[in-house]
Amino acid sequence: MPRKKVSIIGAGNVGATATYYIAEKVIADLVMIDVAEGMTRAKGLDFLHAGPLRGYDVPIYGAADYAQIADSSVVVITAGLARKPGMDRMDLLKANTEIVRAASRHIARYAPNATVIIVTNPLDVMCHVALRATGFALNRVVGMAGILDSARLRFFVAEALGCALSSVHAMVLGGHGDQMVPLPRYTTVAGIPITELMDKATIDRIMDRTRKGGAEIVGYLKTGSAYYAPAAAAAEMVEAILTDRKHLAPCAAYLRGEYGVEDLFIGVPVVLGRNGVEQILELDLTDAERAELATSTAAVRKGVDELKTFFKVA
Amino acid sequence: MKRVSIVGSGNVGGNTAFFLAENGTAAVTLVDVKEGVPKGKALDMMEAGPLRGYDTHIDGVDDIAAIAGSDVVVLAAGRVRKPGEDRADLFEDNAAIVRSVCARVRELCPRAVVVNLVEPIGAITMLAQEELGFDRTRVLGIGGLLTSTRIRHLVAQALGVSPRETTALVIGPHRASMVVLKDTVRISGVPVAKLIGDERLDAIIAEARRAGDTILELAQASTSFYAPSAAAVTLIEAIARDTHVILPVHMRLEGEYGVTGLCLGVPAQIGAAGVEKVIELKLSDAERRAFEQAVTEVRTALANEQRRLPAK
Repeated sequence: MPRKKVSIIGAGNVGATATYYIAEKVIADLVMIDVAEGMTRAKGLDFLHAGPLRGYDVPIYGAADYAQIADSSVVVITAGLARKPGMDRMDLLKANTEIVRAASRHIARYAPNATVIIVTNPLDVMCHVALRATGFALNRVVGMAGILDSARLRFFVAEALGCALSSVHAMVLGGHGDQMVPLPRYTTVAGIPITELMDKATIDRIMDRTRKGGAEIVGYLKTGSAYYAPAAAAAEMVEAILTDRKHLAPCAAYLRGEYGVEDLFIGVPVVLGRNGVEQILELDLTDAERAELATSTAAVRKGVDELKTFFKVA
Repeated sequence: MKRVSIVGSGNVGGNTAFFLAENGTAAVTLVDVKEGVPKGKALDMMEAGPLRGYDTHIDGVDDIAAIAGSDVVVLAAGRVRKPGEDRADLFEDNAAIVRSVCARVRELCPRAVVVNLVEPIGAITMLAQEELGFDRTRVLGIGGLLTSTRIRHLVAQALGVSPRETTALVIGPHRASMVVLKDTVRISGVPVAKLIGDERLDAIIAEARRAGDTILELAQASTSFYAPSAAAVTLIEAIARDTHVILPVHMRLEGEYGVTGLCLGVPAQIGAAGVEKVIELKLSDAERRAFEQAVTEVRTALANEQRRLPAK
């Protein structure tokens, strides 16, 4: 059985770092696509040159021509403008919609059997754009959000308790923005809810920091946003799909009534395997959690509605 | 690089050395009184290294003096159960072996953290701690961690998902009366009981309780050793790499969970110095009752064991 192919659309910091993480797993041939052809080819070569030292042995190819993604099993869309200080949110929405839509059409043409992972922001809205533009089955378009948000939450908990990261698990629902819904009672250390291990003030502080996790990094970098953790989250999803790992984790999935939400991508626990989103799990939520999720969902709904005012196909 | 010495080169000792080599955790010294066996196994593992991609040094010796200065000492000597035997039946035979080994460990590796895999875990870990005279935070037994990994496997299988994100804590003795903390059986933070129902989870826990017997009945000639070795390596990694991971381990309790002077499984944070912190959880009424009943049982067993303790 030939090795599978994974293509990454957008070879910026997130795309290139995701490519690197996936290369190190030695599970797929890799193609990076970017309009900046020279830069993309250069990064591909640079990765290949590092292979003998890092011990991975997979072809990595940088290109501008979408024909190179032919027959990919998984395509990750990271292309898009990053939010810059002072940038109008609507302008960003419009620009990234154009980019994701164009990429999606190429994917539908060259890699019609792929599962598509969306990383471009605003995440939940871009998932919607990709689903419509590819025309793919609902389970084959999925957004990277909850794995990143819960990774940050896990780090903050481990840091506060001084325990190993590997002991901490977490669940974050909702849209990928500051209205995300981290769940303290489903955030655990060796299976013990943090509500038994930390006081409420500490938990509140950690949940707040999680919601603002992306902004905290932007605040330091000034001219850029986080890419190591987002790329790691995307690579984790790629691995789960390629290796059919049946990984239960929060991802942005298209809902048809689950959690009382229709026709919208929202972060929920899913099982990721070779068929993309293979299952959506519905958790019992408290009234407060349900209310938070409703607020978060309303924010995503607003973004999709705005989209529909600009574009006929949305 | 840290050094781990494993006393006993049978299936558990040998596989523990092998997993450590693959992880590149530490240099390994494998010791056994059976001349040639540890040397042969160590050489076999070194010769697999070029293909498996590790270059961990593994030494096999028949003289225990070679363990001097080790950071971690693993007790994997002694006899294992035959079909139909109870773990408690091993006490007399294994106590004599562990006693003589500990007398040497005390003098050769006075600063080591000791990990006990010899059954019956509770009684032997307790005996080892007394014999070594080490602080109780440096003498740990494998018990709950093994049941935990078995529950995690069964739960993942029932859900049809990967086991990597699962958790399960087990406290109390490593025998049928162990107490599985059901609320800690989770996947990605979500309680498994909510996903498969209490009844199915109870059936899984019952299956995990007898998992050791199931394997012994199937294999006849040997007890399980892959999962026990994996549990040992998880604990050894936490010590050798100072990870601060939280694992269920057996240790002598001095007031934790209301118990004094008994060796039982509890969740603890593990690092280079052994146990850094015992995590005391609120138990449900049912768990509390089950735990107290198990403690009574262990106390009675301990009195019996002390009577059967061979003379030095």
